[in-house]
Amino acid sequence: MRKAILLCLFFPIFCFAQNRELLYNFTSIPQSSLVNPGADVSYKYYFGFPVLSGISANIGSSSFSAYDLFSDDGVDFNQKVRNVVNKSSSRDKVVTNQQLEIFSGGFRIGGRESRSYISFGLYQEFDFFMFVPKDLALLALNGNRDYIGKSFNLGDLSMKAEVLSVFHVGFHKKLNDKFVYGGRAKIYSSGANATSTKNSGYIYTGEEPGTPNLYSQVISSNLELKTSGLSRFTKDEYEGNVVRDIANNTFFNGSLGFGIDAGITYYIKDNLQFTASVIDLGFVRQTKDIETLTYKGIYRYNGANPDFMGTDDPENVFDEFDKAIPRDTLYNKYTTWRPTKLYSSIEYSFGEARPDDECNCHGKVNKYYKNAAGVQVFAMSAPRTPLFAITAFYRRNIFKKLDFKATYTLDTFSNKNVGLGLAGTIGPVNIYALVNNVLEYKDISKASSAAFQLGINFVFQDKE
Amino acid sequence: MRSSPINKISSLLFCVFLLFSCSSDLNFDQVNDFKIEPVFVANLAYFNIPANRLIDDGGTNVYPDVRDFDVFKEKFFTERLKKAEFDFEVENNINRAFVLNMLLLNDQNEVLQTISFTVPSYKGTPNVIKYPTEVFENARLDLLKQTQKIGFVVVIASGPPLNSQSEGNLKLRSSATAYLVIE
Repeated sequence: MRKAILLCLFFPIFCFAQNRELLYNFTSIPQSSLVNPGADVSYKYYFGFPVLSGISANIGSSSFSAYDLFSDDGVDFNQKVRNVVNKSSSRDKVVTNQQLEIFSGGFRIGGRESRSYISFGLYQEFDFFMFVPKDLALLALNGNRDYIGKSFNLGDLSMKAEVLSVFHVGFHKKLNDKFVYGGRAKIYSSGANATSTKNSGYIYTGEEPGTPNLYSQVISSNLELKTSGLSRFTKDEYEGNVVRDIANNTFFNGSLGFGIDAGITYYIKDNLQFTASVIDLGFVRQTKDIETLTYKGIYRYNGANPDFMGTDDPENVFDEFDKAIPRDTLYNKYTTWRPTKLYSSIEYSFGEARPDDECNCHGKVNKYYKNAAGVQVFAMSAPRTPLFAITAFYRRNIFKKLDFKATYTLDTFSNKNVGLGLAGTIGPVNIYALVNNVLEYKDISKASSAAFQLGINFVFQDKE
Repeated sequence: MRSSPINKISSLLFCVFLLFSCSSDLNFDQVNDFKIEPVFVANLAYFNIPANRLIDDGGTNVYPDVRDFDVFKEKFFTERLKKAEFDFEVENNINRAFVLNMLLLNDQNEVLQTISFTVPSYKGTPNVIKYPTEVFENARLDLLKQTQKIGFVVVIASGPPLNSQSEGNLKLRSSATAYLVIE
């Protein structure tokens, strides 16, 4: 029981942010085209190491860390819970994203001189978004005695979660030396979805002069939880493996949806580059195993009210409550919108270099820049208001086939988020590792967010 | 040929990434200490009897009423209720004295407990009495948890007769405070 309560209250500590500021425009990693299908990525063909080509996880919360709750410092755990709830606000949000690439690949189409590419892949994704339900946490922790006159806002309850698989096919083309564009079509297969974002209402206890009772007690509820792919697990007769069944639904029997990604890269000058992309502009039509629960109504509690008139008017608190705020179950299909992401960047390159370490037999001069610096912005659609982040970055080419990127990001979760990334290619093997919030790594448990992403690809270029 | 220094450097940097991270000692077993102790207040009962409804000849009369009170059917609540308090407030503007009895009854209509209040008659000055808090703990709490009905018995003491023209009211307001321990 207490674990269940605790999970409900503090699930947020295991959360992930979706901004991939390190991966964005890090074009020596083929996966960078997942955050900008118009990224200036080139290869003859590539494929990801199955299941290991793209693993990402990112832990964080905007108001507290694991250390705040679980540090072994002798402070009473319940006091720590209280402190965390007290310093949270209902605007504190929790954004979770985890992705695992099952397979991916790409190849150039047309001849040797062509600069058109097809890419494809399948990945699994988990998304979770929640606002900290501060008012309800306060009510559960303290009760209403010390909050006479306060309305506990049921609108604080706002969350959505989804497990899905995404099959995608993309195309990008370097039209000329200045302009690259690309797009990607995605088919979503959602194994499980829970959405409860349009809640309102309040729980109120007040003392109002002129009323016959000691308290005015009102619950006004407009709660709605839509689920798909989940209701069978709540039935008593269900005997199975939830994880396996959700995985099975995700890949083979999910609710289907469709979305697109699009992006461009434009070289304003040789060394001045602009990029922009929109990712996951799409929806899922939730049709499998759907169930919508609603609790709508107004209930006033008066206690027992004898009238001494000899009338026998049964007062059954629970029946009255159920009548006032009935639990209704609907079975309507519904549509959920994917969290749509927008990225854009401007990058200035400097430190011209020539690959003088290799013989240039074709007489073509492949000059390139060793350094790049710039600014990226990120926005993502979310319940209530979108999320924003701004990132300053520096990228350096250490050796011809080893690139380094550092980022400094300001967002809801942190104002000192420094990220470091490395991508190296040894023969055809491309390895990358991106780590976010490195300043917090000296004590990861105190980090309000942390992220890592790594992967292995095999990339084949034309032999010179 | 060139891959060997790159290899070394990149594997070194990889290790640095991994070594970067340390963590304070965290003790997740603390979850087992999780215990919340919310305190809820709620209306218990109220009534407002106008004097003109208590038509009597001036003798001692009894007015009973029994109401269902089913909150203790809810197991989650009952099992976690560690203490309860009842507070009562009576206002009498009728020129008669009363004894107000509140009976806690089980589903067999057997009286488990009786709480009794003496209400003096109205003498022309405001007459709101707050009675001492009734505290339910231990054995008394166990009796309370068996309660399924609440009976109210208003005993009107002898005095000037009341008729349909009589003025004043007898008002009760009361609240319950529930101390829960959830772990």
